[in-house]
Amino acid sequence: MYIILAWRNLWRNRRRTLIILTAVIIGISSMIVMAAFSRGTVQGMVSNSINNLVGHIKIEHQQHPADPAIEHRIITPEKLLRQITAMLPPGSRVVQRIRADAMLSTSREHVGLVLVGIDPDLEQGVSFIGRPPAQGTLFGNQNQGGIIVGRSLLKKINGKLGQKVVITCQGADGTNIAKAFRIQGVFATELESTERAFAFVQLHTMQQMLGVGNDITEIAIQLPDNNGNPPVDLAATTAFLQANVSDKQLLARNWRQMLPAISSYLEMFDGFMLIWYLIVFLAMAFGLVNTMLMAVYERMREFGLLQALGMRPGCIIKMVMSELLLLLTFGCSISSVAAFITVHFFFSSGIDLAIFAEGAEFWGISRIIYPLLTSWDIIAANSVVLLLGMFTGLYPALRATKFSPVQTMRHV
Amino acid sequence: MAIVTVNNVSRIYHQGKTEFKALDDVSLTINKGEFTALAGPSGSGKTTLLNLIGGIDTADKGTILLDGQDLSSLKKGELADLRLQDIGFVFQSFNLIPVLTAAENVEYILRLQKIPSSIRRQKVKAILADVGLADKADQRPSELSGGQQQRIAVARAVVASPAIVLADEPTANLDSVTGQKLLDLMQQMNTDKQVTFVFATHDKMVMDYARRVITLKDGRIADDIRK
Amino acid sequence: MSFPLRMVLHIFLLYTFLSCTIWSTSSRAADTSSQALTILEHAIDHWRGTSSIATFSLTIHRPDFERTMRMKGWTKGRQNGLFFVLEPPKDAGNGTLKKGREMWTYNPKINRVIKLPPSMMSQSWMGSDFSNNDLAKSDSVLDEYTHRIISEEIINGLTHYTIEATAKEEAPVVWGKQELLVREDDILLRQSFYDEDMVLVKEMIGSDIISLDDRLFPRRWEIRRANKADHYTRLEYRDIVFDVDISDTTFSLMSLKQKGR
Repeated sequence: MYIILAWRNLWRNRRRTLIILTAVIIGISSMIVMAAFSRGTVQGMVSNSINNLVGHIKIEHQQHPADPAIEHRIITPEKLLRQITAMLPPGSRVVQRIRADAMLSTSREHVGLVLVGIDPDLEQGVSFIGRPPAQGTLFGNQNQGGIIVGRSLLKKINGKLGQKVVITCQGADGTNIAKAFRIQGVFATELESTERAFAFVQLHTMQQMLGVGNDITEIAIQLPDNNGNPPVDLAATTAFLQANVSDKQLLARNWRQMLPAISSYLEMFDGFMLIWYLIVFLAMAFGLVNTMLMAVYERMREFGLLQALGMRPGCIIKMVMSELLLLLTFGCSISSVAAFITVHFFFSSGIDLAIFAEGAEFWGISRIIYPLLTSWDIIAANSVVLLLGMFTGLYPALRATKFSPVQTMRHV
Repeated sequence: MAIVTVNNVSRIYHQGKTEFKALDDVSLTINKGEFTALAGPSGSGKTTLLNLIGGIDTADKGTILLDGQDLSSLKKGELADLRLQDIGFVFQSFNLIPVLTAAENVEYILRLQKIPSSIRRQKVKAILADVGLADKADQRPSELSGGQQQRIAVARAVVASPAIVLADEPTANLDSVTGQKLLDLMQQMNTDKQVTFVFATHDKMVMDYARRVITLKDGRIADDIRK
Repeated sequence: MSFPLRMVLHIFLLYTFLSCTIWSTSSRAADTSSQALTILEHAIDHWRGTSSIATFSLTIHRPDFERTMRMKGWTKGRQNGLFFVLEPPKDAGNGTLKKGREMWTYNPKINRVIKLPPSMMSQSWMGSDFSNNDLAKSDSVLDEYTHRIISEEIINGLTHYTIEATAKEEAPVVWGKQELLVREDDILLRQSFYDEDMVLVKEMIGSDIISLDDRLFPRRWEIRRANKADHYTRLEYRDIVFDVDISDTTFSLMSLKQKGR
């Protein structure tokens, strides 16, 4: 009966109900869509960062993070690699790399970057360079003189495939070394900064060039299920590796340790979302209270009559609250569906932030954001609105019980 | 047998600093089965007296016993229950919930009394037939004429068999023919079902129908005539 | 002679000089190849001397400003060079040391010597149109090109050779080719740098040939980017002494710090 009464009362003032319903729907949808957007952004940030030659766990010389000089390298890593592989859960990927600060020169441009020597076959599924290049090819073993540069870098140096570039860097003996490479492939990543920061050559070529034998500067580990959430315990695996590698000069860190800003942001994220819900709700709450008060004052005599007929104040509160509940339930379900549709159909191919790309890159945000809709966000947004919404409805409902039959029935 | 006993009741309204004695030391008794009109000019206290008897207003002095219960001893919620169980109201206008149909308006009281739905439907059907509006059961108040609305109000007032029905100017907004029909209906309810009616009115026709007319003047009983 | 001049020469000359022979497929080409190499070697030897001390001015011209520095430099062989800013006072004492392919800079204000890391090698040297890299790599270039004479012309009774130097396939140089104009008395007059598509990138032109310390050489050098008339660096000698005895310790980090004071 309450529900029927509430339903009919809602449609008494069709326009007002539709307006407040629209406000509720816009509020909740934007809560959820924004949440999905933010979550997608963060997820993108995390996977960008991990793919950005970080990996889930990285092992390097303990001095290398602070001073990435070639002296701080891992000497003859073959045994270590076997050791590490044996310690990891099955399905883990282990890659070795060597990196050095270098300068890339053409006849018109000189660009400082990080030159990374890689084994392209092993990088697949571990870092972005394992993906097929945007142009050209990844080098096989036959092409020792090939270099792969980023799309943005290629544009900056106004270069083309096959062009010669000269790489200058410091060798293991401290002298400057120059070597010519030909641009063999072009990689594209989410972040322009990454495209400018790195260039890739064969691991073996680079080892020869630097004069370091088989030495490397880092071992990157990708644990099974590359989703930012490996099923094994990241911290425990890292600690286990650190404790068990035979060379005590080495340092094992996981991505949460390597990217502390993103990690702590991730930890606070649910809290941020809740605050965001509260802010949106606050804006909505004023509209809600106002509308309910209007609806209640308008029906003053009706409430007076009902009290005269013997309705207890509690029932009157119930009556008003069920109207609000109906309105909110309605709003919540429509907006959840609307948000779902928005995210899955309109933004399924991602949101292109190309216009803001430069600003966004500061935080390592992708050029294209894929909104991520989680049930936590939908439930949280709806709960906030329903619970707090009902709470704000208490005031108008209490007002409704204060209308005395004597006074209200006298108004004719 | 007395349904309502009013003993030395006064009711004072305050308007700013001036006091206004709506009722001044009124005592009277209304017995079961009466068809009584409280008459008098506006401001004489007749509506106030009706509200006090109906438990929607409280006396400043004196006691009111309804069906042997002292109203002043009841809490707000208990008063509400008393009104629900023992009193039927017919107001001058705006008697009905606009979003409910005629039948639902009548049924609503029974619902509040938690009467099972089968009995409810039966009672509603019967009473709507009694007031001659069986065919209007599913219409909203806005679709009914003033007279029809008041008949529904009467149906609602009597459907739960209350001890007393209080009607405040029930005919004031009706033309004389319709008013007369409404009074006929109530008189019939009174004779057929022994429903006790008390009116507050200044309508001559109502006084003609009443078997007892209590005239109030300046908050006091000026006259009490039984026909 | 001054370090910068040597630099200029070495940087730009030396780049050009050396030779292997793509053109040796024909015997005629082989002839011009070896002749071209000889001409270039002589031009280098003309400048090389054993050592030099010079003062010179360096003018950097841009569309919206121009500034001139006075500098002093010591050179010994192709590998060693040391030079300082004398004027303006604001920059006085700033120094650069070159030993082989390594470079260091010294800033008296912070009293620090910085070894130029690879990433800084691309930066402009003293704000001019030379990069640090141009200086540092100057001596490696001899081996990286193949050469031939593409024209000979007699002007004022002197034969002027235009020599084309083409970068070898694997050479770690950024130019596609260079063209050098050398007078028969071993004086380099012009050096042009081309990218891989053989489009002119920059050009260095010597002029005002005078005799200083019994040697003929252009007193003024200008380096210009192609298609940028307002954008050049000019080097002018004030005085120069050749074949002086300079100790090897002059080209040390210690003297980089001390001489600048």
